[in-house]
Amino acid sequence: MRRADFDTLRPMGEQMSHAPLASLDAVRKRFGKITALDGLDLSVSQGELLALLGPNGAGKSTAISLLLGLQRPDEGSATLFGQDPQEVEARRRIGIMMQEVALSPVMRPREFLTQVASYYPTPYDVQSVIKRLGLEKVADRTYKDLSGGQKRQVQFAMAIVGRPELLFLDEPSVGLDTNARAALWQVVRDLIHEGCSIVLTTHYLEEAEALADRVAVVAHGRLVAGGSVDEIRAHVSRKTIQCRSSLPRAQMQSWPEVVELSDESGRQSIVTRDAEAVLRRLLDADASVRDIEVRRAGLAEAFTELTTTASPNPEART
Amino acid sequence: MNTAVNHSQMSNSRVVAAYFGDIRFELVKMLRTPAFALPTLVFPAMFYLLFGVLMGSAKGNAAAALYSFAGLSVFGTMAPGLFGFGVSLAFEREYGLLVFKQALPMPPGAYLVARMAMAMIFASIISLLMILLAKFLGHVPFSFMQVLKIYVIGVLGVMPFCAIGLCVGAFVSGQAAPAIVNVIYLPMAFLSGLWVPMPILPHAVQQFAPLWPAFHLSQLSLYSLGAPSMGTFASHIASLAGFTIVFFAIAMRRLANGGLRMFGGASGARHMGFPLQRVLSRAVFFAGIGLIVAGVLGGNVAMAPRDAKGPIGVPAPANPVVANFDDGTLKASYGIGWHEADDKTRGGNSISTVRVIEDGAGHSKGALEASGTIRDAIEYPFGGTIFFPKGTEAGDFMNYSGKKTLSFQARGDGRQLTVIFLVGTEAGGIPPMYSFVTSPEWKEVRIKLETLAGMDLKRMQGIAIGAGGAPGEFRFALDDVRIE
Repeated sequence: MRRADFDTLRPMGEQMSHAPLASLDAVRKRFGKITALDGLDLSVSQGELLALLGPNGAGKSTAISLLLGLQRPDEGSATLFGQDPQEVEARRRIGIMMQEVALSPVMRPREFLTQVASYYPTPYDVQSVIKRLGLEKVADRTYKDLSGGQKRQVQFAMAIVGRPELLFLDEPSVGLDTNARAALWQVVRDLIHEGCSIVLTTHYLEEAEALADRVAVVAHGRLVAGGSVDEIRAHVSRKTIQCRSSLPRAQMQSWPEVVELSDESGRQSIVTRDAEAVLRRLLDADASVRDIEVRRAGLAEAFTELTTTASPNPEART
Repeated sequence: MNTAVNHSQMSNSRVVAAYFGDIRFELVKMLRTPAFALPTLVFPAMFYLLFGVLMGSAKGNAAAALYSFAGLSVFGTMAPGLFGFGVSLAFEREYGLLVFKQALPMPPGAYLVARMAMAMIFASIISLLMILLAKFLGHVPFSFMQVLKIYVIGVLGVMPFCAIGLCVGAFVSGQAAPAIVNVIYLPMAFLSGLWVPMPILPHAVQQFAPLWPAFHLSQLSLYSLGAPSMGTFASHIASLAGFTIVFFAIAMRRLANGGLRMFGGASGARHMGFPLQRVLSRAVFFAGIGLIVAGVLGGNVAMAPRDAKGPIGVPAPANPVVANFDDGTLKASYGIGWHEADDKTRGGNSISTVRVIEDGAGHSKGALEASGTIRDAIEYPFGGTIFFPKGTEAGDFMNYSGKKTLSFQARGDGRQLTVIFLVGTEAGGIPPMYSFVTSPEWKEVRIKLETLAGMDLKRMQGIAIGAGGAPGEFRFALDDVRIE
């Protein structure tokens, strides 16, 4: 085992006190008529995992590409380790896992890792990364022969092989099965423990709950909520109850806890902030109710709600 | 000062290793992509083996073998750059890999350097393969210097094609790229005379040839082999450099507009507001256009073989009239008159008869008629008539310098005819030629002598007019032959 390789932290520079590793300050970015970012402030501190959440088109990807130097802000500033993100020196301290990257199908994971490692000043040993992520069996197979989940794991390995101080993970667990996801989360926790900082963008509230120290919710190009996971969860307390009930629609609608009610081929969907109260009423009123299912409102819907209530800003979408 | 110095400084040796790692990665990737590696490496050699070695040497035509060697070498040089940049870049742009690579701390320019190096390594393999085939199977008598020149031309010649490929990759989608690259590659190869020798191609094709970079590269190869070539060394170098600069600049601009920085670091973006850089890059761009224009103009000038030394012919008479056949004979106003011409001395079995007929062009008294049969015993059969201006059949030259055009009236059975200028210096190469088609009506043919590839007006031995190509009968008549 070469685990020892991971346990040694790179010595931090003297400026590392409390300066953010990466930050966006009052950043605006427009693409034609679309305002992608509308005065966004964001910063990542040493040793934390910041989860960046928000519905599609909220500006998450734009924010990340500004931090990676792929684009430049129209107004405001983006910095990475106190430098312009387009400076290669700054990017030698970050690792990147992107969402939609088609790597060359004819190459092998070990070759990708060797190539990416060569761009960094003090990368991890490639073999040790392969072992750490359990990629021994696939490391020397051609990329096109890997499953979707294995490809994501290889991309994750490419993100960490450079021994980054700051890691950008964009939807890292999409396409992974439960075991692989758990394994990936464990490595992420270990990396944080070793002093690495991480910016995570995800659609899964569970992923943010499991990993994040801090959550930033972005919508319409602005920060609409920020804080600990619990603080954010309070905002998205809606749940959906699905069931088959013979109760008249009007009766259900009259319950004060019901926010929304829809009926599709005999199956009702009830959106509520107090699932327990609605269930109690439902079971009392209808002894024959079947197929009850309760789930938390989808993150995307929740954020749409968050946005419209927290920061109605019609200007942002024009 | 850079506060991040401890964490992010890379030793020079690591940076160099990263460049080499990228070159190796790119090379392995392309070698593992049969759709790229196989046609790129095998086709030029295979075509040369078929057309240059087997067909060429079987029929004993050393000149054709040499021409196909030069042409197919250039054909081989075109592919790695065009496909390596064009198709790969288009795919990587479309499928997000290029953006990912931009975000990675790649050394500046490594993306371009690795691909360019890959193209050069492929081209160098192709060039060596072609040289070995030509030397040992085609029995082309190379000198060491000629081999060296051909090799250097083959390797450095990838650059304009890399730039064109880059341009295609910067504009089109990954799906369309292979088709677009082929639409550039194959027609350009034909129009540049890589498959069929330039002098045999239609005149219009010859005139537009200097617009194609492959033409300049192939003429440069012919020049370095001492074979007759069009244009000048400087015109070829100028236009090849110009094409490289202009296409590269267009591609960079397009990629930059799409947010892609091909040179890694921030320097480009940082100095964007600095006017000197914009002025400089424009100056370089327009200099590139200027080089292309100069090269195109210069490339259209027919050039005598470089080694055209030795005695020149006797001055031609001032009288522009060569022959009008109105006295009922085949005599010309100078020289030994018009004779039958065929391919027997080259081992062929075509036959031709020449006589004077009545009722020439414009109802003049007489005209020359040639008729006979083309047979296919040799690769380039010929039958028709020939005029030796100096007087002895086998020797002296006439110096026609100062004369601009050859014109005559012609009519015939609709077959394509070729005028072949036997100049004293062609030395196993391909003589200057001009092709036209006859019709039952009299029609004037005018040939601008200076525009023909390989023309050497100072050493004109004979002018042959006749049929070639497909076997079969031919019949045509000539009148009012003038050189002025």
